[in-house]
Amino acid sequence: MKTFRLSLALGLALTATAAFAQFGLDLGKVTKAIDTVKDGSKVLKGTVGIGPVEERKIGEATAVEIIGKFGGLVRDEDIMRRVNLVGRAMARYSDRPSVHWQFAVLDSDTVNAFSAPGGLVFITRGLYDQATTDDLLAAVLGHEIAHITNKNAVKIVQRGEAASGVKGLLVKRSSQAAQIDSQLNQVGSLLGFNVLGLTTKLFTTGFDAATEYTADHDGRELAITTGFAPGGMRAVLLELQTHGENRKTMFASHPPVAERLKHLPADPAPPAAEAAPAETPLVADAKDQPVGETK
Amino acid sequence: MKTPPSRLLLLCAGFFTASAFAAFEAGTFAYTKRLETNLLAEPKPGAESSGKIAFAHKVKVEEVKGAWLRVSEGAVSGWVFAANLSDAKPNESSRLDGVALLASKTTATAAARPLDEAVVKYAEQRDLKSAGEDLEWMLKASDAITDDEVTAYLQENKKGEYQ
Repeated sequence: MKTFRLSLALGLALTATAAFAQFGLDLGKVTKAIDTVKDGSKVLKGTVGIGPVEERKIGEATAVEIIGKFGGLVRDEDIMRRVNLVGRAMARYSDRPSVHWQFAVLDSDTVNAFSAPGGLVFITRGLYDQATTDDLLAAVLGHEIAHITNKNAVKIVQRGEAASGVKGLLVKRSSQAAQIDSQLNQVGSLLGFNVLGLTTKLFTTGFDAATEYTADHDGRELAITTGFAPGGMRAVLLELQTHGENRKTMFASHPPVAERLKHLPADPAPPAAEAAPAETPLVADAKDQPVGETK
Repeated sequence: MKTPPSRLLLLCAGFFTASAFAAFEAGTFAYTKRLETNLLAEPKPGAESSGKIAFAHKVKVEEVKGAWLRVSEGAVSGWVFAANLSDAKPNESSRLDGVALLASKTTATAAARPLDEAVVKYAEQRDLKSAGEDLEWMLKASDAITDDEVTAYLQENKKGEYQ
């Protein structure tokens, strides 16, 4: 059992090294090889028995990675006010109303949304601009709230899948994998978990399809409970589908739009925004969408 | 006679709202999911308080009136909006002290809470200091919006228990 744990710790440390490489750490600065699994076991230790305080810490570190990758935050008080009023109104009736819920908009043209453990929810500017009514915004936020109430990311950490998320990178960089930056141990000790493994998984493959469909379902239920239109998510997805889904820029970390639509009831579209005629498209043509992140 | 689209939407909304609370019936049990669940003397928001029940307590559903439930736990009883209860026991860890700690952060005094030191160091070591500063701004900006303002939003837009 002890050998297993040590191996697992070693595996975590190795895969985390690869993750550092993926996220831009200068591996030329790597000065130490893994000479002991003691430090690695510290990383492992933190992945079991995650309570609310640890969850929040995981969430904040994950949020740093999300903000860093998606162009920073839109620092606009009106936008912050809207996403937080709609988001917290819904979170109040969620399964975890006592979580410290906070919402923000990422300064990226891509169409996506993310949640970090502990109540931190992000929606890109590209998606926010399409959420022209609170019904549509609530649909997107409800999906992300569901990921947090269902503890989807926390379960990834608990199951050690955060490490497996970068296994492919480990293979590709096997020559470097034998080394580890001293910072890794320091950061791992500080945080007690493999944040890079988690964010690598969230940014690339995302959650598995079943988890996403459950979040769509639970988000819809929460929207209904709070009093928002049940067809919000369906309307958002239909607009994306109508204007051509671009997998590089639209919900890249989620299952294909057509598959998500199949799992949603055929709810009527919510009322359109008063200022915009019903036939006005919610999104710009896909050809106008930039490819990749804005920064 | 054709039903106006707006009325149809209202009917749909009513149906879906009712179905969202269908799990609760008189004689069944539910669980509190807030740190403190306020029970009311009448099934309407703003009614006088008739008691409080702590987190994750099992309550008996005595009566159902639309989206409102009359529940009891021992000698304490009263009305509560159904979405303030869960049909399953909250799946939090046994470390309820942590839950309380998180909730305390929603108070005005906790709004000034800085980012966790470990996270600040993490951001620096990852060369993501700017992202760390953005996160710090997010925490302050979102905490500046009070629970009362969220309640006012619900009231003005007829959401939640104000439907």
